[in-house]
Amino acid sequence: MKRETDYGYVIKPVYTPGDIEGFDYSRDLGHPGAYPYTRGYHESGYRTRMWTQRMTAGLGSSVQANGVLKKYREMGQRGGLCVISDRVFSHCIDPDHPLGRKEAGVLGWPGCSLLEFEELMEGIPLTGQSITLLGSSAPTVMRLAYVVALAHKRGIDPSEVHGSVMESPFENYFGQTDVQPFDLNLKLWLDASEYVVRNKIRMRSSVISQHFQESGGNNAQAIAVVLSMYKELCGKLVNERGLDFDDVAMVPYELVSIGTRFFEEIAKVRALRRMWARIAKEEFKAKTEKACQMLIAVHTSGRTMTYQQPLNNISRCAIQSLAGAMVGCTAMDNATMDNAYAEPSALAARMSLNTQHIVAHETGVADVVDPLAGSYFVEALTNEVEQEAAKILKKIDDLGGLIAAIDKGYIQEMLRDEANKKFIEMDKKERLIVGVNHLAIPPEEDFEIPIQKLHPGDSEAIADRMAKWKPTRDQDLLKARIQQLHTDAQKGDRFNLMPSIVEAVEAYATSGEVIGTIRKARGLSYDPFNMIESPFALQ
Amino acid sequence: MKAGNGIKVIVTMIGLDGHTTGGEVVSMILRDAGFEVIYLGVNQTPQMIVDAAIQEDVDVIGISSHASNYSQIEELVELARANELDDTLIVVGGNIPREPAEQLLAKGVHKLFLPGSSGNAIVDYLSTEARSAKARTKAAAASRPGSLSA
Repeated sequence: MKRETDYGYVIKPVYTPGDIEGFDYSRDLGHPGAYPYTRGYHESGYRTRMWTQRMTAGLGSSVQANGVLKKYREMGQRGGLCVISDRVFSHCIDPDHPLGRKEAGVLGWPGCSLLEFEELMEGIPLTGQSITLLGSSAPTVMRLAYVVALAHKRGIDPSEVHGSVMESPFENYFGQTDVQPFDLNLKLWLDASEYVVRNKIRMRSSVISQHFQESGGNNAQAIAVVLSMYKELCGKLVNERGLDFDDVAMVPYELVSIGTRFFEEIAKVRALRRMWARIAKEEFKAKTEKACQMLIAVHTSGRTMTYQQPLNNISRCAIQSLAGAMVGCTAMDNATMDNAYAEPSALAARMSLNTQHIVAHETGVADVVDPLAGSYFVEALTNEVEQEAAKILKKIDDLGGLIAAIDKGYIQEMLRDEANKKFIEMDKKERLIVGVNHLAIPPEEDFEIPIQKLHPGDSEAIADRMAKWKPTRDQDLLKARIQQLHTDAQKGDRFNLMPSIVEAVEAYATSGEVIGTIRKARGLSYDPFNMIESPFALQ
Repeated sequence: MKAGNGIKVIVTMIGLDGHTTGGEVVSMILRDAGFEVIYLGVNQTPQMIVDAAIQEDVDVIGISSHASNYSQIEELVELARANELDDTLIVVGGNIPREPAEQLLAKGVHKLFLPGSSGNAIVDYLSTEARSAKARTKAAAASRPGSLSA
């Protein structure tokens, strides 16, 4: 059985002061709220602001998802909502597309138009909580446009809404895929980010290591990859869009996956905070403190939620939630015990939210900032993972940055090798997973948990509704806005399309129509699957 | 001779499911065991998969499923039948809950590999059940002394 971190550092049976020789508190840690922020960003930690406790939602129609959001609010989730798209919206095709019909509303929200967003948010405040919409990079501009459009409709200044609706184009390489080309996703991401910065909208973009890790990456790789994403994207916003780094640094946020190896996960986040602070200050010459503070949310690892003996997952999630709370995070969305089966059942969702509440209110960990600081083991682990991550980051830098490293296949090979290694370790019992390769029981003896049932008919209903609804829109207004968008999308990459996208969305243009029109302007087919044509006669 | 013995296996996702890690890991396991793997990747419709199966004359269609779109797998089974691919094994790997799992087996999926399936279990099953292995076993039985055709 392996007694090493997932990146190969061999763990000793005991740690002593000798393991952190040369340790300097203010240089290596800093007080919470002081550079290099290893200990976190707030002097009083959670006493000033509790982490946002949330669960992801999204299943079936928008009306159904709205029901789930309301239920979560009743369960105590009031600091923020988090909705994930279905695969159809992730690709930016519509539910009434031949391929969309079969999977609309499956495993996510069918958010392809402003109408769907209005239904999702019926009776739910747009302000006073963080609004997080997730699910691939391609719909980034649509999600942002929905928020702006709904704010306008409700008479709210968009700058009063906060949360995260953008996703980096790198998602396509790490499992959160969509069918749109990287360069288009990149251009639209830059447009959305520039738009929020110039309009002072406090909307962020996920620029995250979570999917990379859930796809098999190890802790050192995860740190290196997310830092190189930050460098690449912040660099472009500064150099190509003429923005100030200190403003740009307010756009990205990290979502880190927290697994079950308790101390290593805590070390990972501490190292990440310290490394970003140094990069921001030394490489980007940050002038403000905030720009050196990587905003980090925690996702307890869905990958670790086993199919076998799912009740065990309650324990795993509790351990992971405890680690996430102890290391310090701005928000936590934890996975549910039935993650391997379906979208969270009400029971599983309540269990996971309650886990967060128990950690927050019963354990005492929320009363102290970075309680493990000074532990010989934890400080040694923090140093080790930082060193290993720095090596990988240097390799990526030497290859020319993350985009270049991806073009050369370096990142994909690294991820594939690591995923294979993890499987073999489990197959050979070098890593034990209770109920899976250790102390497994026959399925007949297992406790069967209630799971969310799938209704395949729902997809067709969503598709039919969309097909019936489309002709009822103001066709003249819609055509004019789509035409404007098409004209603007021919003006080159530097021309920001957000204003015309917002206008099109306000006329109820769908994601298939908006992205399809932009594609046409760029010489691509309207439909990424080449099955349907644009319904608009474009000049 | 390795267990896979050149048996041809399609490994693919189906529909809009973008989860590829499982499929990639299984591809590695199968290739290491001597199977010939045709990895189709993402955004494959049931029709595209059946077309590839016919074109490549595969022994096994392996679906890696992680997105609850089981109706697409059922459609694949129907299409395979309609195209007379009765000798082609259809297997599915993934985190499939009990009810849809039972439904898929009832529909005609030959074998499900649920989470925790070992690499060896997949290799052993495919190497013994795939049609060329079946054909060889049949031929070997026919040519044994004492068999009717000897």
